[in-house]
Amino acid sequence: MAGLKMVRTDSVAASAGADLRAENITHMFDTDDGALLALKDVSFTVEAGTFVGLVGPSGCGKSSLLLMMAGLLLPTDGRIAVRGETVSGPLPEDIGVVFQESSLLPWKTARENVEFPLYLRGVDRQVREKAALKMLDLVGLGEFTERRPHELSGGMKQRVAIARGFCQDPEILLMDEPFAALDEQTRMTLGDELLHIWDQNKKTVVFVTHSLTEAVFLCDKVLVMSARPGQILKEIDITLPRPRTYEMMATETFGQLRAEIWELIRETQAK
Amino acid sequence: MSHGLASRAGRISAQIGIVVAIFLFWEVAVQTGMANARVLPPPSLVLPRAVAMLGDPVVLYNLWITSAQVLLAFVLVAPIGIAIGLLLGESDYFGRAFKPFFFFLASVPKSVFLPVFILAFGIGFTQKVAFGMFQAIFVLVISAIAAAESVSSDFLKTARAYGASRRQLYLDIYLPAMLPVIVEGLRLGMIFNITGVLFAEMYVSRAGLGHLVSTWGMSFQMVNLFAGILLAAALSIAVNEALRWYENKVGAWRG
Repeated sequence: MAGLKMVRTDSVAASAGADLRAENITHMFDTDDGALLALKDVSFTVEAGTFVGLVGPSGCGKSSLLLMMAGLLLPTDGRIAVRGETVSGPLPEDIGVVFQESSLLPWKTARENVEFPLYLRGVDRQVREKAALKMLDLVGLGEFTERRPHELSGGMKQRVAIARGFCQDPEILLMDEPFAALDEQTRMTLGDELLHIWDQNKKTVVFVTHSLTEAVFLCDKVLVMSARPGQILKEIDITLPRPRTYEMMATETFGQLRAEIWELIRETQAK
Repeated sequence: MSHGLASRAGRISAQIGIVVAIFLFWEVAVQTGMANARVLPPPSLVLPRAVAMLGDPVVLYNLWITSAQVLLAFVLVAPIGIAIGLLLGESDYFGRAFKPFFFFLASVPKSVFLPVFILAFGIGFTQKVAFGMFQAIFVLVISAIAAAESVSSDFLKTARAYGASRRQLYLDIYLPAMLPVIVEGLRLGMIFNITGVLFAEMYVSRAGLGHLVSTWGMSFQMVNLFAGILLAAALSIAVNEALRWYENKVGAWRG
């Protein structure tokens, strides 16, 4: 195990990403039936350059947490901090977000969608075009840059959304169930490609997912959340070495980690 | 691609064929006495008359009056209708309070209000413009509500996460997302607008295409009447197709 740890430490040391912390986050929603406690005293640390998963039963508040990290939702209590500084609104230069494919702007081409974050920041046309084409090439869409979303398949659209998240070269990448709308084969392929891209630039990644296999396969650490009100039940270190390969899915470690997460979620759901 | 072109060419020639067939049937029906030529003049008389009318200063003057009323009503009502619709579509409070009124009123036949417009505005230019606006405003408001509600919260969430300013949200998200639905509403509003202006002219007026058509009908000038009807139809179709072309252009992404 000492060997495995060394590999991981090395990759972290080579990273450029920023760290992200959630500190004592409590959140209430106003509903017609009164206030609803959605998150209760949630704290965790995402170290710079690591790939962290967030899993939990439906409605546990993991998407709300991600919105908070993106600066789109302010917690009722507690704070999100990037490099120690409180997040009080979107930080587009530091934080990229990958939503589901339905977040692509349908009137823009693949290239224009990928450029969009740079366009909003007023980056020069040629510079952003070059950056977008490079990212689209990297996700295998070099020949489809001028297609609009309705002319692309679900997997291709999600590749565009990923390229858009990486295009502005943020320190932190937040991914909100990016593969949820895809079939299993496409989602496995994309997960693999995502790791490949991530290996090259080692962003800090927070990845919200429903898929436990995906969480174990992709992440360095998985945060397991309880049913509402959402709390962190456990932080599970994924001790598999990198680069990850499909063969690892058949290993005992992989199965044990996946079973451990499932056990936690099953218990919290039963309550 | 060649297959698509061939089928497109085939479709268009079939459509032209149908139009030609209708006119031919009309002509034959009159010539054989199946239809009474005094009530239904043949197209061989009506079509040349319609073309001749385009060189007739009296007809052109009246056509100009009608077009001016239609255009002025449209220019005035479009921003008002769209603004009301966007306000109702975007604001929870105003939406809940006032949307039902528009949906109820939209189903009321606007023509029964014409006498009220005559009492309020007289029988001249102003009354025609006001009535055209009144006819058009409901469909404009309802389309603009639909447009505002069609902007996906996913688009807004994404743009905000990437740091879009308020101005960028309006110009780069709301506007392109809503434009096709708005233009569709403008097109439908224009149809109602033209209907309203012509109807008001035919009811009581001193000028306009509706005035001419109504006069020709009452004085049994059937060739003029049908030529006038053709002109009114051509005018409406031209306006409608121009707006539809634009609608398809800005909405190509809807797939």
